[in-house]
Amino acid sequence: MKKRIVALLILLTIFLSGCWDMVEINQRLFVSSIGVDLHKEEGMNKLLVTFVYPNINAIGKNATEDRKKYIISTSCSSVFQAGKEFSTNVEYPFYYKHLKVLILGEDVIKDEKLTREIIDELNRDTKINKKLLLLVAEGSAKEILESRPPQGQITDGTIYNILRDNRSASRFTPQTLTNMITELDCNGVSILPRARKKGEELSISGAAIIKNYKLIGWIGEKENRAISLIKDKVKQELIDICYNQDILSYTITNVNSNKKIDIDEYITTNISIELEGYLQGYKMDNQVNIFKNEVLLNMERALEKQIEKEIMETLNLLQKEYNADVIGIGECLSKFHPKIWKSLQSNWEEVFPEVKFNVDVKVNIRRTGLTK
Amino acid sequence: MQRNKISNEQIKALIITIVIGVGILSLPSDVAMIMGNDGWIGILIGGLITIPFIIMIDRLFKLQPGKTFFQLGKEVLNPIVFQIFLIIEVLYIIILLSYTNRVFADVIKAYLLETTPTEVILMTMLIAISYIARSPIEVIARMAVIICPIIIIFIIFLILINIPNMDITNIYPMFQVGYKEILKGIIAALFSYSGYEFMLLALPHAEDNKKTLSYSLKGMLVVIAIYLIVFFISLSQYGIHQLKREIWPTIAIVKEVDLPGYFLENLDGIVMAVWVMVIYGTIGPYLYSAGTILSHIFQTKVHDIFILPLLPIIYIIAMLPRNLVETEEYLGKTVSYFSIVAIFIIPAVMFLSTYIYNRRNSL
Repeated sequence: MKKRIVALLILLTIFLSGCWDMVEINQRLFVSSIGVDLHKEEGMNKLLVTFVYPNINAIGKNATEDRKKYIISTSCSSVFQAGKEFSTNVEYPFYYKHLKVLILGEDVIKDEKLTREIIDELNRDTKINKKLLLLVAEGSAKEILESRPPQGQITDGTIYNILRDNRSASRFTPQTLTNMITELDCNGVSILPRARKKGEELSISGAAIIKNYKLIGWIGEKENRAISLIKDKVKQELIDICYNQDILSYTITNVNSNKKIDIDEYITTNISIELEGYLQGYKMDNQVNIFKNEVLLNMERALEKQIEKEIMETLNLLQKEYNADVIGIGECLSKFHPKIWKSLQSNWEEVFPEVKFNVDVKVNIRRTGLTK
Repeated sequence: MQRNKISNEQIKALIITIVIGVGILSLPSDVAMIMGNDGWIGILIGGLITIPFIIMIDRLFKLQPGKTFFQLGKEVLNPIVFQIFLIIEVLYIIILLSYTNRVFADVIKAYLLETTPTEVILMTMLIAISYIARSPIEVIARMAVIICPIIIIFIIFLILINIPNMDITNIYPMFQVGYKEILKGIIAALFSYSGYEFMLLALPHAEDNKKTLSYSLKGMLVVIAIYLIVFFISLSQYGIHQLKREIWPTIAIVKEVDLPGYFLENLDGIVMAVWVMVIYGTIGPYLYSAGTILSHIFQTKVHDIFILPLLPIIYIIAMLPRNLVETEEYLGKTVSYFSIVAIFIIPAVMFLSTYIYNRRNSL
């Protein structure tokens, strides 16, 4: 009897263990970037989807293959449909948990319906990491994914690394999926970094303005820097201005910015930005030329004036040309003045261009580098 | 050593593990749907409402020391009324177990085991809980003591990993909600607080009768705090619109975590592992109480003979809804209505009738 029970238990371990969902790690294709373009054709297959996945055999010390990444593309009706289309010619199933970058082609994001479909598909999926970074390609996303970075290295994930390292956060603003959705919910407007090709090389700079899931325009690096300053997203940045016919470089190490909204007859937004930093460079001179307080204060004034001007120009552009509340005035109103927001919400489109701005920049030059 | 006695610390752990169940996953989104940014009011008031009932349950056993819930019920109530109460309680527990198991299976399926059939997930969980449910209450209390710190460590972990990305201003605007919505929000939050009625069975086994109240209240306050923390974290991480969109925001927020370095990403696997234990700590004691109540209805000496026959019933009810929406609409709503009877009416009636009974006898 005992033997029978033991035999039964041993048999049970065979039948009860196991896993329906087991896939060996080397039998998965880890998609790292996806590009979506418009496929100009009648019918359902409106998208041209490009998948990029690393060649596992080419990674590590004992790499057996040279090719670092594979790029494949197909026409299909949705992003995940593309994965199934590819299954006819790739050996393993795709695995989306490590997807890092999604590039939307210019043509796709100009179509509100398609963009909404793509975003919903990604937001709904349980596998996709919601920290997925989004980009808009000037031109086609496929070309961006195929382009080589200037270093000539063809490893996969270059775009992700550029975005992730906030070295120059003010040239572009990395945007995650959830964050974009939240901004679009609150303001109706969001910005995504712009990817484009400079000749053969890839560059990420400036931003695309997305309004109600639709591309309405581009802004350059300077405007993006101004927006980043207002939104307190700058980590480190270098600002050059012309001071007494010479170039004055100022490194920002810390930014503190605040928005306050006053409501009387008009909606007035007071933006105060406090910058901390040090002098990066001015002009070589035989005498001590900078290490005097009045000189530094003068420089601060000049910097303040220039930055204020840049910000005002950007705000003007956003208000008059795009009518896009990128800096989140609507969100701020809805949070801190909910009653007024309720009455304004329906016609915010008409109200936003009339909002008045007071920009107050305070620059602090704390150090002058190594020399006087 | 005396058998079948539980300490006060164990009572506290029992309350925390039983009350925190499937509710915690969808609670932030549920209250946000009704009350918007002010969902925390619903969570807070819903939790505070339970406190008088906890006091009542505690007083109940102090009025008649040394008696169990069943002995008391037979003495102070009409036996038929008491039988009806017990039957309602059993029905409630069966439906609650089915609902909890179904949601559990659906969440596991969505996040972890895509191709594993729901039936298998359900069955394995049911078999696993039947083991703990067949044990005496002492063992269940020990299990709670093991699971309780896991929940608390997990909540602390959740706070820590979310701090870098939180936008605290998302909790504004505050106090915008009307009275009607508050009422609805409280009702929506109440289900998440069901479970403390287990005290009706647990308190007679307490070692130290004097301090049970303060320990059980402490347990409940911990639960309220955990719910509030989870609500505020998910609100400040998502913003109100995205929070309303999520079905299970509490799991989904760990997908938002992005700490420097690659090593902390896609933490849903860890959360699921913790969550399996949380659910185990909820439904194990429930199944035990169903067995105990049945053993008193049929007047048997042991409760464990009823555990296994209950499993197929729970399984069948859990498999009835065709999809998640039906689960929430039919099972979820039924459980909510039942739970009002189980967590409010039964303790209150028991307390009042014991009180009157005592008065009459002392006269």
